[in-house]
Amino acid sequence: MSNSNRNRLAEESLNNNYIKENNKLSDLNEVSSIEDSIQPLTGELTQLRSLLLGIEEEKLHRFYQKLDNPQVDAEDISSMLPEAVVLRTMEDKQLSEAMVPTVEQAIESSVNQDINILSQALFPIIAPATRKAIASALDEMLQSFNYALEHSISPQSWKWRIEARQTGKSFAEVVLLRTMIYRVEQVFLIHKHSGLMLQHIVAASCTAQDPSLVSAMLTAIQDFVRDSFNVPKQEGLHTLQFGELTIWIEEGPSCVLAGIIRGNAPEELRFVFQNTIEKIHLKLGKEISDFSGDTEPFVASKPYLKACLESHYEKPTKSKYIYAGISLGILAMVLGVWGFLAIRDNKSWNTYVNSLSEQPGIIVNKTGRKNGKYLIEGMRDPLAIEPNKLMRKANINEKAVVHQWKPFISLEEEILVKRAAKLLQKPNTVTFKFDNKGVLNATGSAPREWIFSAREQEQLLSVLGITKYEDRQLKDLDIEQLNIYKIEIEEVRILFENDTTLFLPGETEKLSKLVSKIENLIDASNSLEKDVLIQISGHTDTTGIEDANIKLSKARANQILIYLTSRGIDRNNFITKAFGSKKILRPESTEEDKKFNRRVSFKVMIDDVAK
Amino acid sequence: MLQKKICMVGAFATGKTSLVAKFVYSIFSEKYQTTVGVKIDKKILEVQEQELNLILWDLYGEDEFQKLRTSYLRGSSGYLLVVDGTRKSTLQTAFDLQKRVEETVGKVPFILVLNKSDLEDEWELDLAMIEAVEEKGWTVIKTSAKTGLNVEEIFHTLASKILEG
Repeated sequence: MSNSNRNRLAEESLNNNYIKENNKLSDLNEVSSIEDSIQPLTGELTQLRSLLLGIEEEKLHRFYQKLDNPQVDAEDISSMLPEAVVLRTMEDKQLSEAMVPTVEQAIESSVNQDINILSQALFPIIAPATRKAIASALDEMLQSFNYALEHSISPQSWKWRIEARQTGKSFAEVVLLRTMIYRVEQVFLIHKHSGLMLQHIVAASCTAQDPSLVSAMLTAIQDFVRDSFNVPKQEGLHTLQFGELTIWIEEGPSCVLAGIIRGNAPEELRFVFQNTIEKIHLKLGKEISDFSGDTEPFVASKPYLKACLESHYEKPTKSKYIYAGISLGILAMVLGVWGFLAIRDNKSWNTYVNSLSEQPGIIVNKTGRKNGKYLIEGMRDPLAIEPNKLMRKANINEKAVVHQWKPFISLEEEILVKRAAKLLQKPNTVTFKFDNKGVLNATGSAPREWIFSAREQEQLLSVLGITKYEDRQLKDLDIEQLNIYKIEIEEVRILFENDTTLFLPGETEKLSKLVSKIENLIDASNSLEKDVLIQISGHTDTTGIEDANIKLSKARANQILIYLTSRGIDRNNFITKAFGSKKILRPESTEEDKKFNRRVSFKVMIDDVAK
Repeated sequence: MLQKKICMVGAFATGKTSLVAKFVYSIFSEKYQTTVGVKIDKKILEVQEQELNLILWDLYGEDEFQKLRTSYLRGSSGYLLVVDGTRKSTLQTAFDLQKRVEETVGKVPFILVLNKSDLEDEWELDLAMIEAVEEKGWTVIKTSAKTGLNVEEIFHTLASKILEG
């Protein structure tokens, strides 16, 4: 029902009420005339009037008030407003649109007064909305990623790759274009009368020609069609189709909305366009009618136009996310392995650098990476450890490291010891130790020749920073050997039969061995320039008288001497001595003890000889 | 951004399109004129310390085969009437066109452009004719598509007139 019809009905209703009330008033006048003429009946008439009109009196009073004051007051509006708003909202969107500027101003005013009120009210909405938007964006990103992956490995992808190469577009752009159902690429708001562009927006990643020229040309085409085919003035061109491109045109009273669409848009999009042009007319009606070339006021139409920039792509089934899943899985695995190797390499590298820095004779000045390789710069004594040994120990690829060493002479203890050892050609049996007084101590044992050679080179050691060479604790290997021979000889005892100079069975074998031992001793003593004298001591047991025993012991010693000289050993190396029973080896409690006392023993005397 | 629609009209082959070709920005080819009957160009000017975009509707020159589509004139803030100085008849056509344009868009600023001034020796228009036009209060500017003479001038003059209202 139109507004005018409603008003007419309301007026009729009001008139009917008015007539009814007038009828009641005429009745009332008649009753008054009767009252004047018939005074005695006054009381009864009053009662009658009260009975007839008493209930309506209040209403009548209000009715008269309405007649006297026809203006609608705020109280009336407040009682009707909520219902009226609900009714109109159900009918169409005009009330909502009309209220937009008022609501916007109210919000702006509220923000200016106290921003906290709105922010507190909106907070519960904003947080979930933000989460939802982020989730949606992530989902969209994953979907795009999945598209690209899915299509990059499909047979069709090769066709699209060729197309991308031919058109100069990126592969991703072609994939999106070919999987697209439709996309509104540009939207123009055009002044209908002049064809001038009022506003223009273009979707991201779409290119557009000069919109003011395109707007004018679209208007010219509209006019051309209208003129050429005698269509009614109010009719217009609604659709232009060129291959996969469609131009939808929605006309308002003063403006035209043109959308450039790639693909097949659903008819529902028409409603979006229609709704947009209506809203723009409602919001910017005055600006459109006053338009004289200034497009600045039409910036306000951008939010409406953006609503038209829709796009829809083929939605992959959930199962197709497997491409993205597998790829992400592989990517994660590769990253994981790479990360593990990188951490491990880094740890190995740090271990290597630390151990290298701790090495004597090595100073690390700089570490880093260059051309994909590790780099170490520093100084190294030639006697310091080979870095390769440490690299192998730290599991570092030797080819991945570049060393840049500058040589220097280190005075560190370990290097000094090494340098001294190298200079003196130290045998393994000798150990050097460097004390804090600059003294190099040699311990262990060495051949006499080397010991003397080392002493002669003490002056050279001072050049290395060694103040003194000390070898008192160093044993002479040759003397040692001489002492060994001495001990071996002195351990030999040749045993005899009782009261004779005859050897016990098996003792002659001892003699033959003794000969070689004595020969060694003499040779060693000669090389050491020592004088050696071997005392051959004859002994008896305690049986018998001592004079006889002395003679016997002397005979036994002489017999041994004869034997040894008979084997070519110089007689001057020996002296004999007869002890009789004075130096028994064992107390003679048994016959066995006596056997050990009947013997010849040896004593070796070594003296330095100045030659 | 301030935009104004202007039109360029004149008899056939008065050199309208050539006149502005080097001075305007265009994305459309000349084929549009013979098909749709109009070619649209853009000229950006700095007038009275503000940038002005002139959207120039270069209308197909009227001849015995094709009449001017007056619907293209709708909403114009000004126009250029182009005459070929070497052909007297084009001046008369310009007079006729001016009437029709005024009937369509009302009294808006315009300039009578006397083109082909580089061939002034061959002109059929004499000084008296030009003075007669000027006496009507019309602005007359001589131009040459070949040398570019006064081409910028006509845009600036028309733009100033439009902005002055």
